[in-house]
Amino acid sequence: MPLVELNQVSKRFRQGDETITPLDRVSLQIHEGEFVSLMGPSGTGKSTLLNLVSGIDRPDSGTITVDGTEITQLSRGKLADWRAANLGYIFQTHNLIPVLTAYENVELPTLLLKLSAAERRERVELALQAVALTDRADHYPRQLSGGQEQRVGIARAIVAHPKVVVADEPTGSLDVETSEQIQQLLQRLNQELNITLLMVTHDQHVASIAARRLTLDHGTFIETTSKEYEETRT
Amino acid sequence: MWTYVLKTLWRHRTRSLLTVSGAAVAMFVFGCVAAVQEGLQRLTTGEDANQSLIVFQENRFCPTSSRLPQDYSRKIREVPGVRNVIPIQVWTNNCRASLDIVVFHGAEPDEVRESRPITLTSGSWDEFRTRRDAAIVGDGVARRRGLQVGDQFSIGEISVHVAGIFSSTVPSEENLIYTSLEFLQYTRGSGAAGLVTQHEVVLREDADPDAVAAQIDEVLRAGPVATTTRRKGAFQTSTLSDLVDLIGFAHWLGYACVGLVLSLVATTTMMSVQDRIQEYAILQTIGVRPGRALRLVLGESLILCLLGGITGTLLATVALALGGFAIGAEGATIAFRPSLNLVATGAIVSLLVGVASGIAPALQAASVPIVDALRDA
Repeated sequence: MPLVELNQVSKRFRQGDETITPLDRVSLQIHEGEFVSLMGPSGTGKSTLLNLVSGIDRPDSGTITVDGTEITQLSRGKLADWRAANLGYIFQTHNLIPVLTAYENVELPTLLLKLSAAERRERVELALQAVALTDRADHYPRQLSGGQEQRVGIARAIVAHPKVVVADEPTGSLDVETSEQIQQLLQRLNQELNITLLMVTHDQHVASIAARRLTLDHGTFIETTSKEYEETRT
Repeated sequence: MWTYVLKTLWRHRTRSLLTVSGAAVAMFVFGCVAAVQEGLQRLTTGEDANQSLIVFQENRFCPTSSRLPQDYSRKIREVPGVRNVIPIQVWTNNCRASLDIVVFHGAEPDEVRESRPITLTSGSWDEFRTRRDAAIVGDGVARRRGLQVGDQFSIGEISVHVAGIFSSTVPSEENLIYTSLEFLQYTRGSGAAGLVTQHEVVLREDADPDAVAAQIDEVLRAGPVATTTRRKGAFQTSTLSDLVDLIGFAHWLGYACVGLVLSLVATTTMMSVQDRIQEYAILQTIGVRPGRALRLVLGESLILCLLGGITGTLLATVALALGGFAIGAEGATIAFRPSLNLVATGAIVSLLVGVASGIAPALQAASVPIVDALRDA
């Protein structure tokens, strides 16, 4: 049974007098532990699809099911609870809360779960260890480099042990070297912690780190998946 | 999550501080206005406002123009329902409304000691009784004028020796200076030998104040000077009628102060939320419920309001306690005194305004369209 399942999902936008339909009856299945990259020209609906899977946007029709929960049926409040427990979101521009330290930023999602203080502390420390930023825990975002900020963002996305992590151009605002480090980190999280990842990117090189690569073009997925992945699936 | 709220307020500390200061100033004024209203309320509806009567010369308002024979007290005593009568000579430095009115009440020292709700905090009753120019001074006047026991205090034609300072459970009493009746009657320029300004009538518990008042006026109608007798509360309200109107208007000033705090904190919180609309989108993306986002913003406005409101109220309380302020006219005074009720009112108003001022920005934060806010970032 797939972990994420989109079934005949459509999304329309009004732009002036025009109606744009970036996603028209799109279907997709992602299995647990998969690392999926999603590419495509601008305006093809990559980010829209990511937002729908993460439950911060709603489709006009169709259903989205994640780990057996049809998230399209949830109210705004329930959807927030669902995101807190099941979803990690890695933003393109890090989007850390500037008044909170790296530790406090990572701790935020755990405050929304029923955890003891000790469990919270343990999870935050493990997440910071996973991104190799334990020594920067007390630093504020302004005291961190772009790459470090993104690593804090990744730690925040995985700290609640979500079912699925989505990443919107996670290396889009980084230099080449830092981008390489983040790519390796994402790959490691997927391979070592078996985290299911759905990543949107413009960059073919970045997309190539994912075992399963999809390109969205005019509402259709073109699969350019690696041989290793095909072998694993079979 | 409270760390986030506190750190957010600290991040814009200049803005927060200015808002808190503004709220404090407004609540200081609110506290002072409330104290004036409380003072008037106490004066006109207090315990002795309905249990005593004041006999004054008919159609006279200023104490300098009311001149009643002292021996009216003998006739008043014979009226059924009357327990005691105290002839009082009143002298004031100003018949018009003033913030530094000095009012002398001349009465027999033993009557003063027995009938007034006052306690000598320093000085001696014996000196007050035996020395001709001795006076006991209310705590409010003493603080305003910096008087101590042993000082000589002169105002106009009157010069008294301070024989004691007293406090009272009735705040307006603390703005009086008591001398002996004779001293005020025979002071230079007074020309009041055998005359008094008013008679204060203490009633028996079962007496009907209005019926006794009517009977007193009836009995004295045959005398050389006609009288108007009213309950003490009604007399004070009538005496202070100009001020009562002014105080009635001032209560709108109090509401205006509350409105000022409301708009000030609402503006600050709204600006703060609009600056951080993207942060609220991030918070909701990671799973913060809209209701929780709403509470975070309400928390901000509540903290600003409570900090400012309670600071302003406490400053007003301290100022009122130390200043001994009073406003008076025609020999009657309204004391502005701090009270627990005042502090509680200030805290409750701050709390309510804190919630009210945060509602609009909180709704904005709670209903932020996540995708649009993230895209705009």
